[in-house]
Amino acid sequence: MKLLDRLQERQKLDADLFIHRMFLTQQPVMLAGYKSLIDLPHTLMLLQQQAQNAIAAERPLFALGSGIGDCISPTEELKVIEAMSEGNLIILSESSDLCIKIVPISRTLSRAIEAPTTENVIRGSVSAFNEDLDTNIGLIKKHVHSEKLRTQSYRFEKGQRRQAILLYMEGQTNPSFLNALKRRIESNLGNNIPNLQALNKLLGFPVWTLISRFNTTELPENAAYALEKGKVVLFLDRFPFAIILPSMITDMFAVANDRNFPLFFMITMRLLRTIGVLANMLMPGLYVALVSVNPDVLRIELALSIASSRVGVPYPAIVETLLLLLVLELILEASIRLPKTIGPTITMVGGIILGQAVVNAKLVSNILIIILAATTIASFTVVGFHNSIFIRISKYLILILSALYGVLGLFAGVVVVCVYLASVNTFGIPYLYQPKARENSDG
Amino acid sequence: MDKSLQVMVMYLLTHIGLIFFMYPTDIIEVVDVGHWSAILLGFALHVALMGIFLKGLGYFAPRNLIDIFLGVGKVFSIILLLPVTLYFLMTIIIDIRAYSEIVTLVFLAKTPLWVTMVLLLSVPAFISALGVETLFRSGVLVAILFFPFLLLIFCLSFQNADWRYIFPLMDKQAASLSYVVSRPYLLSLFAFTGGFMFLGFIPPYITYKRRKVMWASALLLPFFLISVYVPILTFGQSTASRFQFPFITAVDTVNISWLMFDRVTLFLLLSLVCFAMLFISLIMWKTTLLIRRGFPSIRPVTTTMLLSLAIFIVCLYIPDWKTVERLLWWNTYLRLYVMIVIPFITLFLGIRHHRKGAACP
Repeated sequence: MKLLDRLQERQKLDADLFIHRMFLTQQPVMLAGYKSLIDLPHTLMLLQQQAQNAIAAERPLFALGSGIGDCISPTEELKVIEAMSEGNLIILSESSDLCIKIVPISRTLSRAIEAPTTENVIRGSVSAFNEDLDTNIGLIKKHVHSEKLRTQSYRFEKGQRRQAILLYMEGQTNPSFLNALKRRIESNLGNNIPNLQALNKLLGFPVWTLISRFNTTELPENAAYALEKGKVVLFLDRFPFAIILPSMITDMFAVANDRNFPLFFMITMRLLRTIGVLANMLMPGLYVALVSVNPDVLRIELALSIASSRVGVPYPAIVETLLLLLVLELILEASIRLPKTIGPTITMVGGIILGQAVVNAKLVSNILIIILAATTIASFTVVGFHNSIFIRISKYLILILSALYGVLGLFAGVVVVCVYLASVNTFGIPYLYQPKARENSDG
Repeated sequence: MDKSLQVMVMYLLTHIGLIFFMYPTDIIEVVDVGHWSAILLGFALHVALMGIFLKGLGYFAPRNLIDIFLGVGKVFSIILLLPVTLYFLMTIIIDIRAYSEIVTLVFLAKTPLWVTMVLLLSVPAFISALGVETLFRSGVLVAILFFPFLLLIFCLSFQNADWRYIFPLMDKQAASLSYVVSRPYLLSLFAFTGGFMFLGFIPPYITYKRRKVMWASALLLPFFLISVYVPILTFGQSTASRFQFPFITAVDTVNISWLMFDRVTLFLLLSLVCFAMLFISLIMWKTTLLIRRGFPSIRPVTTTMLLSLAIFIVCLYIPDWKTVERLLWWNTYLRLYVMIVIPFITLFLGIRHHRKGAACP
């Protein structure tokens, strides 16, 4: 038997490939599959049960109509291997040249549905997406009970053969956007998507962009809300989050969970986030502008106290600010890498000891410490880590312009940031688009 | 999609960016009493001309001015649009030079003028290179961010107002309207005409409802009145007429004890400069649109870059404020042409087009 020989040959290379001989309805068969993907004992039990059922019903087990699995021609070795690596079980009958692919009981290789790890929920559903595609879609379907929900599957062929699922609400989504997106995906099915950068490239978004054209969320609640708002949700195999297209500026300030609070709280919370974003972008720039270029704008008392706090600081305000910002960014980056148990220690070292020491050593002024601490805290009031990156970077543009032109540079920087935000669009839907053409105070 | 809101916001921003500097100076110079009549007259002229212009454009919707004129004939459109292009170019040059002078004067005394001009030129060039849709969207965002600020300052600017200065309301000179042909009055018209030409260029990129834009112009009247009356109420006519920028000086007198800043003027001024940047980028976009119609082979980004380089070089050759004022005066002729001839011709062509359409449907 040619296929069996080939499989035995392959077994020498793939340690977890098993070939198991057994009798089903008195027929000798060979089972083949990957041990690491298939729960063998349970699968054998299932097969025996099906065989007994077949005997009881007095029909041949391998009859095509019996619905045990799909037939594959034994000559198509590549298809057989592909089916096995997807986690299917292959049954080869010895008597006839028959090869059947069946869905076995697979090993549990995904975590259970857990609480989200990067997004905290205070009042709302806590379950989060995990790496398993079907679980994620199931979670969405639990949240969106609607016959309008459409689920479209795509398989990217090259390399890892990743599966992607596109979800949208029929009639809610902007049709030209949806068609453009679908066309784009369909024409690029030959590509591989190992990461989101590749997805970005596949969807044809510019590589050098500061704003991610898609929003990601771990919470089914948010994804369901996005679907209802007419957005499109994309799931990729083994990515534990939903990718929401198109991303909009409101994603920075609003989450679906806000609506679980009274309206007044919701508005104030969103306002607070807006203030946080503005504070984070403007404060370092404002400090530098006021200290080094336009001290006359400040009230004389304040100008004097700032000047006296900078006595002994040997370099210009911009260097001082950049130095401390660099330290803060290092702390931020380090605390992502650190295990949770060491995190608080680093915060303490970074925050209190370093801060105090740096002031005592006259390396920076203590007003700057206050400003930058506030800035850093403010940068995380924004929703979603990926959104905070844009703000963190645009802060530097404003900082440099402020150092050159003072308050004028600050304002010009704000204009440039606004213009940049306005120039971003996703398949024709602008980033600043308001779905209901309603004015929004989100800046 | 109807983008009237964006157009309205942009219309307001571009005008507000213009009126608070030279406009009050001119108006205070024109008449000693009854400034309101001069403001209202200019405003009425503005609304009337805009109405005529929009009416004419309405016959051709959604075509823009260039297409309309090209529809009549190539030579015709070159003759008509060449002065418009020239006017735009001069406006950009004057604006950039004037605003950098103001900025240097008020708070960047140590920064060389050309450095400021680089900023004031590069930001608009960046904006106009990104396209008109971006420009209008960012207009809305900038308005959301800066407008609350500005309104606060406008409210605060009445702090030192002495309402008795509002009288007398009228005198013979104001009533006779004899000031209409005087030089400062003609100069003051720049605040009315700079803006509304863009309405003829943005379709079909951006569409809007005519009526909504007309309503937006009504919102503009309070700003014109504030710009002139705040300095008059604060200082009185005879003192106010001595300042180069009366409104800015008037705001400078405001003292707010609860604010950490000593000079609110700075923030007012900078918001206005930002609006002006949007205005400059709008004109720059229009100019590149016109240039690219003449030379379609040049890429848009190249056009913008060459244009800004040329403008920068010209700006460098303007030595002082006197020259700026002279340029502004020369530009008045072009302005009168743009504000009167273009709307009427558009209306005329519109009516002709309409009749033709009615005659042979």
